[in-house]
Amino acid sequence: MSKEAILEGMDLRKEYGTLCVVKGVSLTVEKGEFISIVGKSGSGKTTLLSLLSGLERSTNGRVILNGKDITAASEDELALFRRENVGFIFQSFNLIPTLSAWENVALPLFPVKMPEEKRRSRALDLLGQMEMEHRVEHLPSALSGGEKQRVAIARALINNPKIVFADEPTGNLDSKTGEAIMDILKNLHADNGMSLLMVTHDAELSKEADRTIRMQDGEVVS
Amino acid sequence: MYYPYILKELQHRRNRTLVNILGIAVGIALFVSINATSAAYKKAVNQPFKNLGADLVVQRTIKKTVDSGQAPRTMRGIRLPFSNQLLSPKDLQGLHGIEGVDSAAYSLLLWEFAPRGFRTIMGMDPEHPDLGPVKVKDWLEKGRFPEKQGEVVLEKHFAKFNHVHLGDIFKISGRPFRVVGLLEIKEGSQIAATNMYLPLEAAQTLLEGGANAVNMVYLRLKNPSMVNRVKSQISRQIRGVSVSSSDSFLELMGGVSMISSRFSLMASLAALIGAVLLIMKTMLSNLLERSKEIGILKAVGWSHGEVQKQLMGEVFVQAIVGGLLGVLIGYIISYLLGFLSISIPVPWNLNPLPAMAKQAVAAAHVVRLPVKVSFRLASTSIALALMVGCVTGYVLGRRTVKMKPADILRQL
Repeated sequence: MSKEAILEGMDLRKEYGTLCVVKGVSLTVEKGEFISIVGKSGSGKTTLLSLLSGLERSTNGRVILNGKDITAASEDELALFRRENVGFIFQSFNLIPTLSAWENVALPLFPVKMPEEKRRSRALDLLGQMEMEHRVEHLPSALSGGEKQRVAIARALINNPKIVFADEPTGNLDSKTGEAIMDILKNLHADNGMSLLMVTHDAELSKEADRTIRMQDGEVVS
Repeated sequence: MYYPYILKELQHRRNRTLVNILGIAVGIALFVSINATSAAYKKAVNQPFKNLGADLVVQRTIKKTVDSGQAPRTMRGIRLPFSNQLLSPKDLQGLHGIEGVDSAAYSLLLWEFAPRGFRTIMGMDPEHPDLGPVKVKDWLEKGRFPEKQGEVVLEKHFAKFNHVHLGDIFKISGRPFRVVGLLEIKEGSQIAATNMYLPLEAAQTLLEGGANAVNMVYLRLKNPSMVNRVKSQISRQIRGVSVSSSDSFLELMGGVSMISSRFSLMASLAALIGAVLLIMKTMLSNLLERSKEIGILKAVGWSHGEVQKQLMGEVFVQAIVGGLLGVLIGYIISYLLGFLSISIPVPWNLNPLPAMAKQAVAAAHVVRLPVKVSFRLASTSIALALMVGCVTGYVLGRRTVKMKPADILRQL
C-alpha cells in the first residue's frame, strides 16, 4: 500500500453465480484525491464502489481502507467501520421519509452514545454549511431534489469520514441543481482535502475529478 | 435506540400500527375476560362452602330411593333426608383420625312432613361458631340466636309465608318453640338454607331415638389444597359415606365447568397465538416495505443489533399499548359479565330440600358472577403482551440479519 493511500483495492473480483461483474480490478485512492469512475450502465462501476466501500464483499481480492484490511471483516465490523470512516451519497438520496432533515443528517450517530444536543448541533452545523438551515425540521417529502441531496451530503459528512463514496450524486437532478451539488462536492474536496470517489456516467462531471477511471464490462480500461 | 424515530415510524404507518395494537388488545382482552370468568366460576362454586367456613361435607346417603322424585305414602312427621342418614359414632371417631383435618362441626338436617307440606329443620353445633350451618348466625336480621331448649330461629320468608312473627310460638312436630330470631339466607348458601334453625341438641330431641344423632359433618382442613387427598382418605377409611367439596358443584355444571379448567387455558392460548400471528404477519410485510430503510441504516453504519433494537422498540411500543388496551377492554368485559347471574345446580345430596319438592327442581343456587380482574391477572396479561413482542422481535431479527445493504440498495 502506498504511503499516501487512503484506499486500496487489489485484484477485486465479484461474481453473481456465473455472471462476473467486476473482473480483477486494482485501484488506489490517495489521501485527498478526487477520483471519478465512469462507464456505461452495467459496466460494474457501482459494484466496484460497493466493494471498495465495504458495502459488499468481493468474491476475490482484498480491500484496505484507512490502513485496515476489511476483506474478512464481519457484517457488524463492516457497519462500524463504515460509520467511523466512510460517507455515502446515493443517486436516489436514500433519506428516511419519517425523519426530519436534521434527523436524517444525524442518522449515523443515533446508535452512538452521545448527548442529544451535541448530535443535533453537529447536524444543524452541517445543514448550515449546505445552506439548508431554513429546512432543518422539514420531512424529505417537503424538500426538492437538490435539497434532498444536500441533506444526503450533510449526512455523509456527519462522522468526519476519511473518504466519501458518491454514486451518481447528480443522476436524479436537473442540470442546474446537479451543477450546484457538484460545486458543493468540489468545495468539500478543495477546502477540507477530503478523498472522494465518485461514480458517474456523465463524462462532463468526471472532468472535475483529479483522475478518471473508465470501466467497461467489469474491467478498468483506462 | 432513537425513541422519536420509533414513534414517528408508528405514526407514519398508523393503519398498520392500529391493526397491530388492536390485534394484541383483542387477544389480551380475551385472555383477561376468559380467565377472569373462569376464576369467577370457581369462586362462585366455592361460595357455598366458603360461606360456611368448610372445605368438605361428609354424609351417609341412601342412593337408590332418592331419584324417584316421589314421597313414600307412609312418610309423615319428622324424617331423615335420604341423602343424610345418621352417621355412626364410629364414623365420627374415624373422621377425627383423618390427617389434615383441622376442625369438624356436626349438624342434624331433618324434614318434617305435615299434611300441608314439608319443612326443613337444621340442628346446629354451637361449639364451632365459625364452621357449618351455625354461621347463618351472621345473617340474623331480627332477634337473637337460640340459647336454650324451646327456642327457634326462622328463615324470614318462611316466617312471612306462615304469618309468624318474632316472639310467636311456633310448633314443630307438635312441640312449641318460641321464635327468637329471623334471618335471611345469603346468596350462594343454599346448602344451609332451611326453614328453621335450632341448637343441635334440640333438633336431636325431635327425632325418635335421636340422642347424639348427627347426619352431616362439616370439615375444615389445615390446608385447603389437601381437599382431594383428604377426600380419598375419608372414602377409603370410612366406608359408605359421601364426601362433597366445591368440586361437586363443578361436576354438575358439565359444559360450563369446562370454562373453569382446560377450556380457559386453551382459549387463552388460542387468543394469544392469534395475536402473535397477526402482529408477526403485519410486521413481516412491513419489513418488506421497509427493506430500503433497513438497507440505508446498515449502509450508514448501523449494526444488525442496532437495526433489530430499533424494530423491536416499535414492536414493544405496540405490544405495551395493545396489552394495556387489552387489559382495559378485558376489565370492561369482566365488569359487564359481573352483572350476570348464573345458576349453579346444587348436588342432590347437598340439597336440604326433598327431591320430590317442586322447589328442589329449581334448587340451583343463583349467584351473581363475581368477576374481578386481579392485579396478578393484569400483570400476567401485560407480561404476555411483552412476550408477543419478544417472539415477533426475534422473528424480525432473524429476517433482518439476512438483509445485506448492497443487495437492498442495488434493487432501488
